[in-house]
Amino acid sequence: SLPGKPALTRCRSPEKETFTCWWEPGSDGGLPTTYALYYRKENSETVHECPDYRTAGKNSCFFNKNDTSIWVNYNITVVATNSLGSTFSDPVDVDVVYIVKPNPPEKVAVTVLEDKGWPFLRVSWEPPHKADTRSGWITLIYELRVKLEKEDEWEVHLAGQQKMFNIFSLRSGGTYLIQVRCKPDHGFWSEWSSTSYTEVPDYFQRERSV
Amino acid sequence: PIGDLLERASQRSDRLHALSTMLSQELDSHFPPIGRVIMPRPAMCHTSSLQTPNDKEQALQVSESDLLSLARSLLQAWADPLLLLSTSANTLPHPGQSRISNKIQELREQSKSLGDGLDILSGKMGPDARAVSLLPYRGGSDLGQDKISRLINFNFLLSCFRRDSHKIDSFLKVLSCRAAKTNPQMC
Repeated sequence: SLPGKPALTRCRSPEKETFTCWWEPGSDGGLPTTYALYYRKENSETVHECPDYRTAGKNSCFFNKNDTSIWVNYNITVVATNSLGSTFSDPVDVDVVYIVKPNPPEKVAVTVLEDKGWPFLRVSWEPPHKADTRSGWITLIYELRVKLEKEDEWEVHLAGQQKMFNIFSLRSGGTYLIQVRCKPDHGFWSEWSSTSYTEVPDYFQRERSV
Repeated sequence: PIGDLLERASQRSDRLHALSTMLSQELDSHFPPIGRVIMPRPAMCHTSSLQTPNDKEQALQVSESDLLSLARSLLQAWADPLLLLSTSANTLPHPGQSRISNKIQELREQSKSLGDGLDILSGKMGPDARAVSLLPYRGGSDLGQDKISRLINFNFLLSCFRRDSHKIDSFLKVLSCRAAKTNPQMC
């Protein structure tokens, strides 16, 4: 039979300079089926085919910097084709500025420091390297979460645009897990960074010995 | 100093765009499916004739004064249509009508004070920054007679403002970072 109707499921840009779309194939109708993505930009009648089916993996289309315009509507359709004919997805309108989801922050570092004899954690990180925050093209805010290894509840802190945060009132001798994520001024939260672990020295032991 | 003025202006433009996004989401929650098909395309927005950069490379090549001029031109182009949205919101056939009305009011106030701030800034940044492109709104003084038309035209106008407020916000943030060379921590 004809192929089932494919569906464009998601489009994301990590840094407002490129973007990727993914689709879900329909049933293949029992016949070898191929997929193609076509798009038309709002101020043009020309229909283009996906420039790059490989970079972002299976069932995806990657638009590099030259293929990406912002503040411009992309009207996107996916077409499934087998020997009996083609089936079209519903068209989807995408403007890259509304689909920005950055990669997680990088180089998360945790240091145990001391203030008047009390330890605290200094967490620092860098923006995802693809995101150009320096020129102001993308503005990121950050959030971190911390918890004791044996506990389930995360304690969440909003760090604003800063790239460093101090955490006080620590459990003596505890092992802490820390993760950081970021969000553009107008967009979606990234995934959490990989977990950083750190151990707080047993400072009560030292207190008793004084 | 200009850096502080730009920092405050970009905070306000950030709020302006966030408000327009909230309004768009509120409107989308109760929008006739036919509306999506017959709503005018973005290229029909009254500001679409203004040539603006369409990617990072282009945007970063625009001079400070031209970026500010673009932001002011876009903002001034919305004075009349925001008034129209404001008056139309009072009778909008939408369950969230009063929330929408309040948000539009805030949008007008934020837009007015951002405009005042940019006027001050342009006075400090030379004649090119004071140049403004005229983008008259010729959509008439009402959004249509029947309920569906009014809802669609309201949504269309707001979608145009949402895009333009994002442009304004982006231009001001690039300007703010250029001025913030003395405070790289924030950019």
